[in-house]
Amino acid sequence: MKTFRKHIYLIAGLLLLGACKPELHPVTPSKGNADFSKYIAVGNSLTAGYADGGLYLEGQQNSYPSIIAKQMLSVGGGEFKQPLFSADQANGSGYLQLTGFNTDGTPKTATVTSNLAIRGQITVPGFGNVTLYNKYTGGEFNNLGVPGIKLQQITYAPYGNLNGFYERMLGPAAPANTESYLDFVTTGRNFTFFSNWLGNNDALGYATSGGAGDVLTDKAVFEQLYNVLINSLTATGAKGVVATVPDVTAVPYFNTVTVSAVLAGVQKVNPAVQALYINAKTGSGLSDGYAPRAATTSDLIVLTFPTSKIGQIVDSPAGPVPYGLTPYAPIENQYVLDQNEVTLTEDYINSYNTTIKTAAAAKGLAVFDAYAFLNNVKAHGLLMNGISLNSGYISGGIFSLDGVHLTPRGYAIVANEFIKAINATYKSSIPLADITNYRAVKFP
Amino acid sequence: MFKSVFNPAGTNEQYHTANKVAPPFTFYGAWGPKAAKWKVGLGVYTPFGGLTDWGTTWPGKYTAEMLNLKAIFFQPTLSYRLTDRLSIGAGFVYNHSSVDLTRGIPLDNSSGQSGQAEIKGSGKGYGWNAGIYFKASSKLTIGFTHRSEVKTTIKDGDAFFTVPTSIQGNFPSPNQFTASIPLPATNGIGFGFYPTKQWTIALDANLVGWNSFKALSFDYKNNTATLKDTHSPRNYKNTVSLRAGAQYKAKPDLALRFGGGYVTAAAPDGYVTPEVPDASRVYGTLGLGYTLAKHLDIDVSFEYEHLNSRTQTNIETQLSGTFKSNVYIPGISLAYHW
Repeated sequence: MKTFRKHIYLIAGLLLLGACKPELHPVTPSKGNADFSKYIAVGNSLTAGYADGGLYLEGQQNSYPSIIAKQMLSVGGGEFKQPLFSADQANGSGYLQLTGFNTDGTPKTATVTSNLAIRGQITVPGFGNVTLYNKYTGGEFNNLGVPGIKLQQITYAPYGNLNGFYERMLGPAAPANTESYLDFVTTGRNFTFFSNWLGNNDALGYATSGGAGDVLTDKAVFEQLYNVLINSLTATGAKGVVATVPDVTAVPYFNTVTVSAVLAGVQKVNPAVQALYINAKTGSGLSDGYAPRAATTSDLIVLTFPTSKIGQIVDSPAGPVPYGLTPYAPIENQYVLDQNEVTLTEDYINSYNTTIKTAAAAKGLAVFDAYAFLNNVKAHGLLMNGISLNSGYISGGIFSLDGVHLTPRGYAIVANEFIKAINATYKSSIPLADITNYRAVKFP
Repeated sequence: MFKSVFNPAGTNEQYHTANKVAPPFTFYGAWGPKAAKWKVGLGVYTPFGGLTDWGTTWPGKYTAEMLNLKAIFFQPTLSYRLTDRLSIGAGFVYNHSSVDLTRGIPLDNSSGQSGQAEIKGSGKGYGWNAGIYFKASSKLTIGFTHRSEVKTTIKDGDAFFTVPTSIQGNFPSPNQFTASIPLPATNGIGFGFYPTKQWTIALDANLVGWNSFKALSFDYKNNTATLKDTHSPRNYKNTVSLRAGAQYKAKPDLALRFGGGYVTAAAPDGYVTPEVPDASRVYGTLGLGYTLAKHLDIDVSFEYEHLNSRTQTNIETQLSGTFKSNVYIPGISLAYHW
């Protein structure tokens, strides 16, 4: 019996061990000198959580503002509502999905077309067709990101009739909308903190269309509107964080289909081919025209270029010639952001970013320098928690299947960069998000 | 039982290892005619090993989920008494090791779940040992020991990779791997003091040659552009351990024991990994010995080790945060004399 009692102590001791774990005592999160009780997010598709060429529920749930808001909870952050698509219409606008790989390793994608939230289409005279989505009816919300919006459009009252993503957040149905985006974000919201990442589309629209389908927003207009916006957002004493416009050449949309790769593919079939021909801008001025020339590695082919067009016989002033392989049938302007267009775009982006940083400095706002951050990722990659990330298409882990917008993991990384900027400026200690909780590209 | 906690840099989160017990064990036996100058001994024990299980949902899952490493040394030794005061011994070491390691692969399937790698195998290694025992007086003994490095090679271990179907071709699975672990040499000096009949005091110092552990490499049999051989620098440093212990014989059949020690860390800054969140450590022990019957002794003991917390950013993985660990080792032993 005596020995048995001894054993009892031993067994009890072993059981107790389960309870005593080592503990660390990290610092208590603090809000510093900012107030996160009502946070609103102003911006475009990146802010809305757009990914894989569409806006859909999973992307919305992993938007960077929603990640920031979740992390703000421990420092006095309030509820953060988003205009989410409903579960039965979770695929929203539809989006791209990876379905496999071709034998040469290039990816195959398909568009998801089930469970969409599309309610119809209207034709706006002088503008074109606008897809309309089911209205969001869940009351007030904090994520005000509108895919496609440019800074240049924020004071344009009828804009709510031209953008279906904006229209679904407004009360009236198109074409009866008259509330500008500026009024929409600043009127009656009583926010204490904001994030603003507008301006990308003022350059990106031009760039993704190969310089053919859109125009760059005038630098002076950008400056004037940016200051109007920041003055409005800070008018009632709210603090905030703003982000710069990324370098267009930092995204895989312009770096995946390269001149050398396409040329190598052609030469495999036809070794005599010396060069690809493009229709390129003749100088880096806004008014410079276009002329055919041989492509160089400084010319950026867009991700959506159908490479199968190369070499197909097309009619030209010189008779039938192979597409893309002679100056008589160069690759069309919309598929290439040529060197001069790159230079022009860069010049505008640099100007926009000077405006953004100057405005932020004047108001003491935090700045996430997305331009510097993404260029650094492009140059050096990023290693975090054993995950190797870079700006490569699909394999890089940061960019989604459209080559411009981010994966949930990419958005979490960006959210952490915003948080670092906020913490540095406002002496707060919002905890960082765990990026391993957010996925990269889904493989079938 | 090894219990660790991790606080990722810039967060307020804490992640704990699961409660899992890795029982170390030792068996010693000595045989020989009573009057003879020689004796043979056999030691079977687990000098290295550990079980660390962080689970599959912690922020370091792509660096390590679970490591279960066991090394069992079989050590036959022959000793010879040269004079009444001086004995020497030498022997052979055979090591059987097994390793089971899992970690996440950051590739997500269509349901958004990430992949996993599991590496499993066993191997062997050889070494030797030698010792000198000197009885300076009836109140003082001195001993020197050396155990050589035991280079253990795991050949044709199994590697399994769970990844999305469309990229399985990049991760041939099942696959085989070869890896080598240099289990370090140990040099020790120990003193025994016998001030009175009831007291025994022991001091010992060890120098463990961890600087042989330069890197952990896995050589896969089937490589692809994605699945390359890995080479993780470890750059461990030699460690020094200092220990002291005392025994008080309260009654002829009851001994009370206590002790403590300090060990320096082997992993340099920048090379601390979650599988082995190494740090300098202090520990204390308590023990009790009781004679149950004429030939049979029972000993129970308890050891508590406290590893100092370390705030680290691993150079290879950039996993950044603070580790802290405690180790609890309850012990029970039976000794039979014949």
